[in-house]
Amino acid sequence: MKTKIDSPLRSSRLPRRRFLAGATQAALATGLAAPLVSLSGCRAPRAPNAPRKRVAILATEVRKHSHAQHFIDRFVEGYGWQGHHHRPPMDLVSLYVDQFPAGDLSRDRARRRGVRIFPTIAEALTLGGPSLAVDGVLIIAEHGKYPRNEKGQTLYPRFRFFRETVAVFEASGRSVPVFNDKHLSTDWGECTAMMRDARRLGFPFLAGSSLPVTWRMPMLEFEPDTPLIESVCVCYGGVDSYDFHGLETAQCMSERRAGGESGVKSVLAVRGERVWAEIERRDTTRRLVLAALTRHFTGAAEAHYTFAVPTLDWARRHCREPVGYFYEHRDGFRTAMFLMNGVVSDFLYAGLRGDNGRIESCQMFLPMPSQIATTADFFNPLVNNIERMILENAAPYPAERTWLTSGMTLFAIESLHRGQVELPTPELNVAYGPTRASTYWRS
Amino acid sequence: MPAPRKIAVLLDHVSLRSPGQQLLDRFLIGYPRDGEFRRPATNAVVLHVASGGERELVEARQRDFGLQVAATAEAAASRADAVIVASGSPSAPAPAALMKAALDHAAPRAAMFVYGSLAQETPQPWRWHEAAARRAVWLRAGTAMSTTWRLPETEVPAGIILREALIVAQGPMPLAELEALDGLQPLLERRRRGESGVRRLRFLAGKELWRAGEAGDWSWDLLAAALSRSHTPQGDPVVDGRTQDLAGLGLVPLLAREPRGWLLQHRDGLRTTVLVLDGVVKDFNFALRPTRGPVISAQLFRAPLHAEQHFSRLAAALDHWFQTGQAPWSLERNLLTARLLEHMSRPETREGGWVAAS
Repeated sequence: MKTKIDSPLRSSRLPRRRFLAGATQAALATGLAAPLVSLSGCRAPRAPNAPRKRVAILATEVRKHSHAQHFIDRFVEGYGWQGHHHRPPMDLVSLYVDQFPAGDLSRDRARRRGVRIFPTIAEALTLGGPSLAVDGVLIIAEHGKYPRNEKGQTLYPRFRFFRETVAVFEASGRSVPVFNDKHLSTDWGECTAMMRDARRLGFPFLAGSSLPVTWRMPMLEFEPDTPLIESVCVCYGGVDSYDFHGLETAQCMSERRAGGESGVKSVLAVRGERVWAEIERRDTTRRLVLAALTRHFTGAAEAHYTFAVPTLDWARRHCREPVGYFYEHRDGFRTAMFLMNGVVSDFLYAGLRGDNGRIESCQMFLPMPSQIATTADFFNPLVNNIERMILENAAPYPAERTWLTSGMTLFAIESLHRGQVELPTPELNVAYGPTRASTYWRS
Repeated sequence: MPAPRKIAVLLDHVSLRSPGQQLLDRFLIGYPRDGEFRRPATNAVVLHVASGGERELVEARQRDFGLQVAATAEAAASRADAVIVASGSPSAPAPAALMKAALDHAAPRAAMFVYGSLAQETPQPWRWHEAAARRAVWLRAGTAMSTTWRLPETEVPAGIILREALIVAQGPMPLAELEALDGLQPLLERRRRGESGVRRLRFLAGKELWRAGEAGDWSWDLLAAALSRSHTPQGDPVVDGRTQDLAGLGLVPLLAREPRGWLLQHRDGLRTTVLVLDGVVKDFNFALRPTRGPVISAQLFRAPLHAEQHFSRLAAALDHWFQTGQAPWSLERNLLTARLLEHMSRPETREGGWVAAS
């Protein structure tokens, strides 16, 4: 892993300002065409009678409940949104699919909905013509059979998909909005290169998880510049998988603290008994973990019971191989993320305010296909934000969030790989501010 | 420091994941509320189980949380400050013997909650009401649907003028109807001048139900709005995960298994439709049409097994009532529900046509 790279995207290039203003400044600094946002964040009006936008999806595989299936079907079938069945005001016109496993659904979707599957990314973006022919690109490189590295990271081809997309943009002399599902890459240099390319070419770039935009129960949002001092997410899943979702859960709240995000100074990642020891020695973290756990829907229960008092002893009894990531940010803020498999199957957030000492908590609720869902509707708000980006030619929230959480994920994995040691992270000097508007699903 | 309180839980049967167990445990162990785990202000939780059930379940609570078990309902209810009565089956009315013991032996001014409906045969609900009034016992009934989360968080503005309401439910009769009415009434009560009562009702099933929709007796657009809030569309979404416009594509009649519906005409002109649509979705969703403004719709969220945290919401409402004496809703709501369920269970109501709701 490249841990030392020349990052031109330090805070000097993107000061801690509101994101839209920052994005515009960055675009102007490159000398490229500025995105269609003013410094006040007002978007340029769309031309009347404009043709429907055309969208391409670049997918690793399309099968039942793979990420790509969720995105494709929302574009071609629509989805429940604000009290009606919403059909995106744009057309999915092309697919690039990297793998076709048993149970592949891409051909079925293409046939039923008249979407063309192209053999290369370039052709998917040009529709087989000489230049870029779509108005938005989604990179959905999650799921599929890909090799793992020595740290256990799955080497999904997000960076390759992105670079081939950028190559088409460069050859065509124009760019369109791009969404990247989940973290940017497993390599920090590649993450940074993606951000750099987006800035260099001046296209709106959106990335990340559905966690920041899904239902919140209760509906918790911090006003920008809230005096937060620590965030915790307790969740479940695997390393290099749901850890990223947990970090996005925390970061979409943390970035709204006073001064915005300052970057991350160090990370310590631990497993097993060390997780409990670290929690016990950090009083505020311990309190936040307990507060987060009270928001669970799926907590473990003893025999003859349906729930339990959420305590650390309870968590220890039920947790299979806990994992904890502890971060110190450059401004003294702290983030912790825990994978507590066997204890909960929820994404639970708690934040500590510095002004009144209060803990605020919520569940970021994923109606996951199981007993209470069939269609993974947490993708609805994510797709809706992507639509907004394509229509308005502006990212509704900062990709810097996912740039940072990508780094937080991969440096935590590095910490685990090096024997659960604390690592300084000068690379994660990613400073940015939040959108003033709240962007999660609430109507 | 709150005054010491005795809470009696009277069950005709106890089993894991029954409403009685879920509520018992919230008062015995505690429940999450506002980011904390709270223990209700009680000094004794006394259980009586009339006809058995899972003995290990009771023994575990005696061992772990000091649950007291009474041999008779009368002993359990004796001088209790609050009583919870639940049937082993949530669709069954409150067990009469347990009701009587509670009403005869609870402390004056005790709060008494019945999970489910008070009764489904006239005039039993009013008899319970009168017996409670004689001993100044505060009587209420209901299900977790009345207090659960709404997705999105939705509240109807007080004083709103509503023209039409619709709820999609699933399950056997009368449980589906009970839960649907219990989930909808808190919303409808907020309309101008509150609940006016139901003048008449009409049963529809099978193709008649769809024909009535085509005739405008109930509104497809409200059904579409309600279904748009569902997380559980059935059919193709189950097969291959796709999203699907069930209403817009005309799939609802194809998916529904033995559909049934109830049209309720309220005295103030409001029309309510309860659609029990097994096979279409697996969650409860409603839509309301005000005279002004857009349709209001949401899902009545039932949290997953095993904790079923919607029972924590109900427990919080009851706990607040037990501590403050402020009942969370009116008894009239429960009497109306009982009356409607009784009408719905009558054979003559199933014969078709409008039936006066006396």
